[in-house]
Amino acid sequence: MSSSQLPGLYKELLRAFTSRPSDLQKTGQLLTQLKIVLIETGLIFPQRDHKPNELVVARDILEIGAFWSIRTKDVPSFDRYFAQLQTFYNDYSSVLPMSEREYPIRGLNLIRLLIQNRIADFHTTLESLPLPADELAVNPFIKHPVNLERWLMEGSYSKVWKAREEAPAEEYKFFVDSLMGTIRNEIASCEEAAYDSLPLKDAGTLLFFKSQSELLAFAQQRNWQVNLTAETITFAHKGEEKLDIPKEKLIANNLAYARELEQIV
Amino acid sequence: MADVEMKPADEKTRKDADKKDEKETTPTPPSAVSEIKSNIALIDRAVSTLEPRFTHRVLRSLAALRKRLNDTVLRDAIAEVYPQDSSVKAVLLSWLPEAPAQDQSMDIDPTPTPTSKSIPAEPVPEAEIYLRLLILHHLLTSPSNYAKATELAQDTVQKMQALNRRSLDPIAAKVWFAVERTYELAGELSDARPLFLAAQRTASLRHDDETQASLINRLLRSYLHYSLYDQADKLVSKTTFPLSAPNPQYARYHFFLGRIRAVQLNYTEAHTNLQQAIRRAPPPKIAPGFYQAVHKLFVVVELLMGDIPERSLFRHPVLEKALSGYFDIVKAVRTGSLSQFQNTLSQHAALFEADKTYTLIVRLRQNVIKTGIRRLSLSYSRISLRDICVKLHLDSEEDAEYIVGKAIRDGVIEGRIVHEKGWMECGGQKTGDGPEVSEMFARRIGYCLELHNQSVKAMRYPLNAHRKELADAEGAREREKELAKEIQEGDLDDDDSALGEF
Repeated sequence: MSSSQLPGLYKELLRAFTSRPSDLQKTGQLLTQLKIVLIETGLIFPQRDHKPNELVVARDILEIGAFWSIRTKDVPSFDRYFAQLQTFYNDYSSVLPMSEREYPIRGLNLIRLLIQNRIADFHTTLESLPLPADELAVNPFIKHPVNLERWLMEGSYSKVWKAREEAPAEEYKFFVDSLMGTIRNEIASCEEAAYDSLPLKDAGTLLFFKSQSELLAFAQQRNWQVNLTAETITFAHKGEEKLDIPKEKLIANNLAYARELEQIV
Repeated sequence: MADVEMKPADEKTRKDADKKDEKETTPTPPSAVSEIKSNIALIDRAVSTLEPRFTHRVLRSLAALRKRLNDTVLRDAIAEVYPQDSSVKAVLLSWLPEAPAQDQSMDIDPTPTPTSKSIPAEPVPEAEIYLRLLILHHLLTSPSNYAKATELAQDTVQKMQALNRRSLDPIAAKVWFAVERTYELAGELSDARPLFLAAQRTASLRHDDETQASLINRLLRSYLHYSLYDQADKLVSKTTFPLSAPNPQYARYHFFLGRIRAVQLNYTEAHTNLQQAIRRAPPPKIAPGFYQAVHKLFVVVELLMGDIPERSLFRHPVLEKALSGYFDIVKAVRTGSLSQFQNTLSQHAALFEADKTYTLIVRLRQNVIKTGIRRLSLSYSRISLRDICVKLHLDSEEDAEYIVGKAIRDGVIEGRIVHEKGWMECGGQKTGDGPEVSEMFARRIGYCLELHNQSVKAMRYPLNAHRKELADAEGAREREKELAKEIQEGDLDDDDSALGEF
């Protein structure tokens, strides 16, 4: 396989990817071939001087790869494509024209971090976006994850629930399900702490369950006591943990002070 | 304090204030030329006695000296220090504009000619690098010379690396600072990074602590300038900051570290680092730019931790004006009013943007809500969710229920939600005792002891001074012996006489 094949394969990839509905299997095969070509021509981690249009093609291929990974629900693969794209987005930003897929992909990456509960990484990534801060609230692809994070942190879970249909791109919806799982667990842990008991119906609404059977399964999973006749859930409160005096630690501390003081005097 | 000015591009105005302040504080020394000359002599002494203390003394005066440099001063100084036919002299002079001014100054100033004859020997290479450093700083004062400065910087770096002398290290650390400044002013800060990285490797292999400290800070600053927090974090985890680094470098390092940790949501560590930066920073009057920059971040981090900064901080003469926007934010957080917070945020957006604290401040939103809920839980024993929603300007009752639930789980308040009745019942607050208190106490004691040990370690004793003391002790012992002898003899005499009397 040689670099002369690159344009042909690239065109084929575009066709496979943009056709509706897109041919996921064929896209995957083409991506594998193209990646080999990219490695052979050294475009995957560009170091030597490449022509800008070659770099653009390489970037497009990787971007399609990222979207393809999301559509095939392969998050680790998305992770790898995103890592490879970093070079193009950060180091070649002055050479290459801006890609229209850049922000959707960056936004997807942010949501991914959010769902995996990597909040510190989320903020680090957000901070290193090449955008002025007020732009963050305007760019639709970035605004979405930023808002989600804020609502999650505040506890406005109903807003997150409502926002799930307002995704700015098709691929964002893939994350909705896992996001719902995350917030349900969050809400459940809040309820355990904040309520003594809850009527079944209200618990269902609070957790966004449509049917009672779903709720019951969830309740069983979290070890809640369900009283079916009274239609309530009771949360077992862990009694105040008994506080032991950490004797050994205190003794060790005091001995250390004595030693230090002896040195001083 | 040569190394204390922080110079992000956005701090030009403050830097001016800085300059003014510094001019006021420095007493007027004789003349720049003679100062350079005496500095060169000191460097010479430092190299011959292997005592880096003298070099440090020279470098301390750098900031003050820098402001009084001009072409003539530098040319005269070089002419006086080097012998007439020195090759180094020619090289150094070539970096300065050789104008008719050269002959002119020679004619006008009568001193150079005799003195240059009186120095026959070629000064040590350290002196050359020092002069190069001065020239570099001078070139950086006018934008038209930036290209030339870059060239000189590269040349000097090569020279330094070729010389490879340990006595050069303190000066080299300063040169790296100037190199960074050169690249930054020329607008190609990221290009200098490979250079710094390579030099950092060499410096750490040679245990060149000062250069290492300086370079780590250069690199961190370069990363943070381009918001590359990941890389900066990796650099911090892969390097160890030399323990013997001078205070200004430490202050900078802590500041950068504080920034990284704040972005990573690690507020406790950020707080500790920023506190260290403030403690190690030079007095606020001398380096107000750094002092203000640290405090801005410090205020935000303290708010994010849920504390309210002290009121007196905002009355500090150096900080009052710079922190006014932050003061408004503090007020909004303290009252727990979301609408006031939003207003202040949009009002000062440009300021926060320039300080790179905007995204950090946006994170405060949840703190505002939490403070609001805490205030409500303290003042009411039972409050309906509807009222919470109205008082905190939340969008819906439903939101209020979730938010209160989260606050209870996170331990912000003690209470219960009664869903059927739609209200929140607030319980009593936790009292402050238990193991946490003793842990806190232990940490503080530990800090005091550490401080004591550090200060004992930091004390300096003049070399060989103990010999004199030993000699004194010897003499004292001798005297004592004699005295003892005399007493003994005296005693005998006394006894004799006493016996005689009897």
